[in-house]
Amino acid sequence: MTYWSLNAFFLAAVALVALAAVLSRRAPRWKALAVAAVALLATTAVFDNVMIGIGLVDYNPDLISGAFVGVAPLEDFAYAIAAVVLLPALWHLLPARRSTASTASGRADTSSRADPSTPSTSSGTGTDNA
Amino acid sequence: MGLIYLAALLVALTGMVMLDRRFTLFFWADARRAAIVMIAGLAFFVTWDLLGIGLGIFFRGETAFMTGLQIAPELPVEELFFLALLVYVTMNLYAAASRIRSLSTSKRTLRQAQGPGEAQGPRQGPGERA
Repeated sequence: MTYWSLNAFFLAAVALVALAAVLSRRAPRWKALAVAAVALLATTAVFDNVMIGIGLVDYNPDLISGAFVGVAPLEDFAYAIAAVVLLPALWHLLPARRSTASTASGRADTSSRADPSTPSTSSGTGTDNA
Repeated sequence: MGLIYLAALLVALTGMVMLDRRFTLFFWADARRAAIVMIAGLAFFVTWDLLGIGLGIFFRGETAFMTGLQIAPELPVEELFFLALLVYVTMNLYAAASRIRSLSTSKRTLRQAQGPGEAQGPRQGPGERA
């Protein structure tokens, strides 16, 4: 199995979690996510090139596509893409903590989106183990 | 035993914790949700790694920069810290980007409530709308 085939399974799992978040009206904020994605892909390009350059990890040349960013296989960027979609989606699927004194002023107007007691959003939990 | 890579990862993780604490981004925004996202993210990416290693796609390089300790064949202990860093960077970036967006979209409200320049939103988790 090639690196891309392996990535396809995990990216599909990420897509399912993101779909669950959208369907339960707990979607992440896509513009913020896009900003984070650009920064994360840029840092991944730097970090991955250093890691591979100094020999921390190596790849079977027969199982990668041969597309590189510097010395980093393009496939490695699937980790960053998965992280930036999966983790915020999971965060929003999880019910927010109960209000405390320090957050009471900031929490009141977020209740329509994040309050676990809102019936329309209560179906969002428990779908993150894809 | 090389500690350079592990030390570099710990320095980077410490930086993420400092940013989180200063700007209330992830664990300081909602410790319970952050812990679940962190553990689920680690489980997801370690599984991805183990399958990639099992399929012979990538493997640990022989280098003096790592301790040589492995939590599974070809899976160095450093990888756990790397993946924790990936999760932490992602969520800090997403929370920070969400903060910028929410400040720009609720500018009018903030300007009325407080003077410009001291517009500090309430404690918010990643992506929660102000």
